[in-house]
Formats: sequence, structure tokens, C-alpha cells
Amino acid sequence: MRALIDLIIKNRHWFLFIALEVISLVFLFSYNGYQKSVYFTTANDVVGTAYNVISGISSYIHLREENQNMELANEELRKEVYGLRQQLEEALQNDSVKRMPELPALYHTIPAQVVNSTLHKANNLITINKGEVDGIRPEMGVICSRGIVGIVYMTSLHYSIVMPLLNENSHVSCRLKDSEYFGSLVWERGYANVAYATSIPRHAKVKKNDIVETNGYSDIFPPGLPIGIVTGIDDSTDGMSYRLKVRLFTDFPTLREVSVITDYYSPERHLLEEMAVDPAKQDSILKSQEQKKDAEEAQRKADEEKKKKAEEEMIKADLEKKYAETMGAQTSEQKKTTQTSEQEATVKTDTVR
Amino acid sequence: MSSVFISRLLRLCILLFFQVLVCNNIHLLGYVTPLVIGYMVVCFHRNTSRISILLWGFAIGLLYDIFSNTAGMASASCTLIAMCQPALLGIFTPHDAAEDFTPTMETLGFWNYMFYVLLLMLMLNGAFYLLDAFTLNDWPMTAISIVGSAVMTTLIIIGIELLVRPRKNP
Repeated sequence: MRALIDLIIKNRHWFLFIALEVISLVFLFSYNGYQKSVYFTTANDVVGTAYNVISGISSYIHLREENQNMELANEELRKEVYGLRQQLEEALQNDSVKRMPELPALYHTIPAQVVNSTLHKANNLITINKGEVDGIRPEMGVICSRGIVGIVYMTSLHYSIVMPLLNENSHVSCRLKDSEYFGSLVWERGYANVAYATSIPRHAKVKKNDIVETNGYSDIFPPGLPIGIVTGIDDSTDGMSYRLKVRLFTDFPTLREVSVITDYYSPERHLLEEMAVDPAKQDSILKSQEQKKDAEEAQRKADEEKKKKAEEEMIKADLEKKYAETMGAQTSEQKKTTQTSEQEATVKTDTVR
Repeated sequence: MSSVFISRLLRLCILLFFQVLVCNNIHLLGYVTPLVIGYMVVCFHRNTSRISILLWGFAIGLLYDIFSNTAGMASASCTLIAMCQPALLGIFTPHDAAEDFTPTMETLGFWNYMFYVLLLMLMLNGAFYLLDAFTLNDWPMTAISIVGSAVMTTLIIIGIELLVRPRKNP
């Protein structure tokens, strides 16, 4: 301690020098704006750099712990990814195809609700709560979010009867997805979710889990709407084609919301096809067409005449109105002039008096 | 109160007045301003207490700062040369000099005295202008200010020395 005191006493001028310099620098940084700002900026830089170095060292020291935590997190994520991948594969195998492909913008649909349905008869029917008033006509296609439902069979003003796929009279053109081989989908009573695709050519490459969809050959459904998935492959009774067991995507027992495709049905095409199938009908069809045309023309003429008459009446009414207005104006002017003359006369008589 | 102290106080006042009223208004070429207050530190004789030199140096610097609005710059610079003065005087002092050897032009000789003063003034002006600029971005200008002011201050101090203590002819 004594040595320390001796050292301080011996070098006291150094301590005094340092103290005086410190005081001077305090004055310098306290009362000079520029030096103060430079000092603080530099000090901040230095302190920031120091903190950076310290944090770098600290993070390096804790690197082992960080790595362990990260490894654990990685492990958990790996498990999660594995689980999700499995779920995705299962979903792809089972459900993903059930998603309804978006209809082309060309087609419009009318949403409807199933109000009545049968499932266990040979010819099941479904009743929906939309009818002619809503623009629904027979032979329009009915679909749901999972796939196709059936075809409109009869309509009333506010209700329609739909012939679903679960009807022995139902025949829907179908094809195997990605192979373009087409056939006809029929229901042979029994399970409410199983139908059969018949007339699939023998040379078609068919395997289980192939998707069956509409082929667009009919004028009821646009192509590509999902119908079901192939669960079994058999030969037809004549051995000339395949008879595929199809599990339908549409869940008829729980079916509630459906949509009716309104403007895919083409009467012109229907007529042409009818004419091609039965030439005997040609004359009657042509006649009916001509009659229709005549009726339309007569209607058009009648409408035009009506329009002309209405226009003439309008013009007449306008003219009458204008005439009445001008006449009214004239009479009011006459009245005014007579009033003024009377007033003048009274004034004159007053002055005479 | 000793006569030495009074004479130093008197010298301090005169130098301060001269510095504030005259030298502070000299701005040769825009950069060069003499710092005559350094003469106060130059004049301390040999074996003066270092603490005394430091306190006097700090005091004159502080007073200059007060009157020139340069807080801390002159006090730090003057304290620095006050610390260096004894060592620097030792270099130029003859071996056989008296204990209370006073550095004047007469005792040291013209050239020695000039170098002695010039070195001290370079230190004083160097510290002062570096603290003033507080950056080396414009170092050529700072260097011109330091050297020019140091030279000019030295010349003024020599002039004062000639005026106050005229050389006796042998």
C-alpha cells in the first residue's frame, strides 16, 4: 500500500495531467456541438462493434445447445412431414379425384336442393326444388360437387324429377380418363354406390383405380365430369368387351345440394340427331320446323304492327297536348289584356271624377 | 504571495488580453491564427514544480477558452505543452546551467530558443487545431493551420522576447 502511495506521489504530475486533460475533454465534448456529435457517433460505433463481437462470441459458445435444439426440431418436422405425406398419398388414392372439376365458363348451372329421393327401387327418382320457372327443362344434366347425379326427366313449374344414375333406365356415356375409350354407364340395382361401365373395348388398357368420367358425346353433360373409380374388371356376357365395376363418387344417400347444367342442352343438335336416326320423321320434323318459322314470322309481324300503332298513338297524344298548351296560353293572354283595359278604364273614370 | 506568482499572474493577464484582443483577429490566409498564450508556458524556468506548470498551463488555456468560446481546446493543448515543457527545456539547457535556469533568447541563444519555442508551439497548435477540426478528412488544411500558426506564434514570441528583454551587446 505504501509503495502504491509512494508511486502515486512520485508520479502525481502524471495523474494531475490526466485529470486536467479529462476535464478539458469534458468541456470540449460538452460545449462544442460538432465535437460532441462526432464523439457520440464514434462512441456508438465503437460500442456497437463491441456488442457485435460479444454477441458473436456468446452465440458461438451456445452453438452446441442451439444445434441440439435444432436437431430436435428437425426430427419433429421430419415426423410431421412423413405423416402429412402419408395422409396426402391416402387422400390422393381415395378422395382427391372426387373433387369436382370446374365447369367451362360456357356452361351455366342452377343450384337446387334435393327434396325427395328413393334409393332402393329399380327405377329410383330424385325430386329437386327448381322447375320450369327457374329455367329447367327435361334432359338437362344434374351434377353435384363430387360428380354427376343424373338427368332431368320431368319438370313442373317449381319442381323437377331427376333420373339419377341409380335407375335401370339410365344410360350415361362415359370414358376412361386419359385413355379415351368410351362406353355406357348403367346401374343394375343393388348397392347405391356401384354402377357398371359396359361396352368398353377389349383392347382398352384398363386397370383398377382408373377414373371414369363423362365423354361429352351426349348433349347432356360436358366432357370430363367425374363419375367414379374402377374397382373391378370383368368381361361382358358376349365376351366382346369389358364390364367394369365402378364405385360412384356421388354419395346418393347423403345427396342434398345439386346443380343443373342449363345451357349445354342443344335442341338443334337433338333435332338433327333425331332426323339422322329416323328418316321417316324428317318430313314431320321439317313441317313442324316450317310451321314454327311461319308462326315466328307471324308473331314478329304482329309485334311490328303493334309497335307502329303504339308509336302513332304516342305522336297523336303529343300533338294533342301541344295544341292544348298553345290554346291555353292564348286564352290566358287575352284574359290579361282585357284585365289591363278594364283597369285603365277605371283609372280614367277616377281621374274624371 | 510571492513576487514570482504575481509576475506570472500579470504576464498571464497581459498575454490573455493580447491574445483575445489582437491575435484572435488575425486570420492570415484564412487559416493562420497565432496562439500567443503559449508564451506563458515557454517562460517557466528550470526545476519549476511540474504541478505548478500544469496548473498554470491549464488555467491560461481555460481562460482563453472562456474568452474565445473554444471550450476545452486551449486548456487541453496548454496542459499538454505544460507537461512536455520541462523535458523539452532539458534538451536545450546547457549542462552547466543554473538550477533556476530561465529559457530566454539571451540564455539559450537565438537558434536554440527559436527551436525550443517552435517545438512547443507546434505541439500547442497541433493539439489545438486537431481538437478543433476533430477529423483528418481535410488534413492538408489542418496541417497548414498548424504549421502556419506555429511559425507565426514563434515569430511573435521572438518579437515579444526582443521587445521585453533586448539582447545586451557583448
